[in-house]
Amino acid sequence: MKALSWTGALALLVLTGCHGGPPEEGQASAAERWARARARWHIEREPDAWADWRAIEPESPEGREARQLLGEAQPRYRAFIESVRGGEPDVWEQFERAARIAPMDPALYLPLARAFRSRYREEPDNEQLKFRAIEYYRKFVLLNPRHPDAETALSELFELDPEGTARFELPAAEAQAEAAVPRAETPTWPLWVALAALVLAIAAVARLLWRVRVSLVPLDVLADRRPELHPAITYLVGSLRHELLKHRIGAVGDAVDALRRGGATEGQRAFLQNRLYGGEPLTEAWGGHLAAFERALGPELDLARRDPAFRRADRAIHTISALEQGVSRGDARAGAKLAAAHAELRALDRHLSGLVARLVRTPVDGALFREVVDEVRGEYAAGQVTLDEVVIRGPSPAPMVEVFRVDLVLILKNVVRNAILAVGQDEAPRRIGLDVETAVEITGEEVVRVHVRDTSVQRFSTTDLYARKMDRGLGLVTAALARYDGAILVEDGGQGFAKSVTLRFFRAYAEDELAA
Amino acid sequence: MSRLLVVEDGGEYEEFARLFLAERWEIVAAHSADEALALMRDGAEAMLIDLRFERAPKEDLIGDVKGMADKLFAGDEARAARWLKEQQGTLILGALREAGHHQPAVFVHDFPPRRLSNLRKLYGRVGAVRAFDAAAIVRTLEGLAEEPV
Repeated sequence: MKALSWTGALALLVLTGCHGGPPEEGQASAAERWARARARWHIEREPDAWADWRAIEPESPEGREARQLLGEAQPRYRAFIESVRGGEPDVWEQFERAARIAPMDPALYLPLARAFRSRYREEPDNEQLKFRAIEYYRKFVLLNPRHPDAETALSELFELDPEGTARFELPAAEAQAEAAVPRAETPTWPLWVALAALVLAIAAVARLLWRVRVSLVPLDVLADRRPELHPAITYLVGSLRHELLKHRIGAVGDAVDALRRGGATEGQRAFLQNRLYGGEPLTEAWGGHLAAFERALGPELDLARRDPAFRRADRAIHTISALEQGVSRGDARAGAKLAAAHAELRALDRHLSGLVARLVRTPVDGALFREVVDEVRGEYAAGQVTLDEVVIRGPSPAPMVEVFRVDLVLILKNVVRNAILAVGQDEAPRRIGLDVETAVEITGEEVVRVHVRDTSVQRFSTTDLYARKMDRGLGLVTAALARYDGAILVEDGGQGFAKSVTLRFFRAYAEDELAA
Repeated sequence: MSRLLVVEDGGEYEEFARLFLAERWEIVAAHSADEALALMRDGAEAMLIDLRFERAPKEDLIGDVKGMADKLFAGDEARAARWLKEQQGTLILGALREAGHHQPAVFVHDFPPRRLSNLRKLYGRVGAVRAFDAAAIVRTLEGLAEEPV
């Protein structure tokens, strides 16, 4: 256990190399670091993102939001670990629900590893449980090298995977930075031991590569697995469709058809030439979009090999690229090939349109309001306030918004908590109300306005909210809403109420409402 | 020959229309609400309108930035201006309707059906086609022309 194998060193080096912010870390504002920290978890899913979240100054609004989210997520992770230990089904849904809120405390990797080890002991034929245990032991040791249980964890890891895992050395307290470097002294083992170790290491790397390969997924599978990526997917798909598939590919449909029939005019050929071969080469524009997808959505995504729609589109782009001479001559055979490639790209456009239509949508209904009110009234401080009336009105059918339910609950809980605590400072009767309305804007879009009304005489304005003059979480709500293009406003409360804190979102439509 | 008014921030719609729709209409192009209103004084049979005016200079855009900022974006004028830019085509259509120009109008955009329905309630004879498809544009505009104003 005292020698650090090269595979272990490599893993540690990679992990520590991936960490660390850019050189200007110290100069970045809390908001910038908070945005980066969120991206490291929600987009890149870095296991050590927890440290970045904790590093945001606790006195800043971003730091308070980070701590609040971490505080909400950890009990859910603990419940998930208990479910693993109990062998319950659908445990990964529990994990995902917690992961959508915040990263897991790295200290929890040890109880998680032990939970999988315990399950493996009950089902020794289930190698997946063993692999999971090994994975989480490794994460614990790598992320918590100075933890009091690190030595014990290492021993338990060694018992599970003595050869493949190789052996780690916990970094010395005074020289942690050197821990990632293999030991300099030459081992005195016989040659056959070294060769055997080399073979095992190669096998371990091959197995790792195979596992990485099988875990790569196409875009629609990634969207199903990782709903927290939906806003990024919506943005990336929108850019690809608008910039490339609409203005360069979609625009030339009639010209391609004319060329295929051998009847393209000079003007139509020039139009084709300009759209397909003028400006940034199509292959570069396409490559730029693919790179943006893979950069933003993380290493699980493999558009080039795993996504049939993108693979066919990739071939089509390269086909179009290679046809430039034939197209400029008005060659009908080039026209036929161009038409086939063009059809593939139009098919990708329709595929992406369908994909975006089924991304995250949350109905804003009475059930949601009741859940929020019940949860807040179950809290200690809000539970001390006696309410004379809670008025909840949810329309049917409920309008939907493009916000994760967990985030919407979090936002609403903050607003409702504030309302209950505010009316608690006043004399009875104390009332709060939740309702929702929709309105059509001049653009034809609809806005969804969620009102949280109360009878408190406490006065504050929309400006106060955005100037972060408010306590009790409303300042945090503004930041959360900005992520969904939403807004929060303070308005007159209407009949029976003093004020309304109103949340504004753009309305989203169900998949069947989007069908052409 | 009757005219088709093309309204856009760049030149792509006009280029497309001159190539594929010029047999059916004389093409005239505007790049702002003011230009569109001026051209409509001489009349046009139909309109082909771009939705997003991201390349248009700020002074060419219409819309109440301050009012919309207060109403929808908690006073954030930058967000309101961005939104008005992304939806500028619908605002220009609104301005044309307000000036009494109720000719059929079509967008090249895959609006959700409910939003298209909202646009029709607001602005009357409005249609949309998913892609630059000359036959679909002609079909849509001719179909709208048969609807009552």
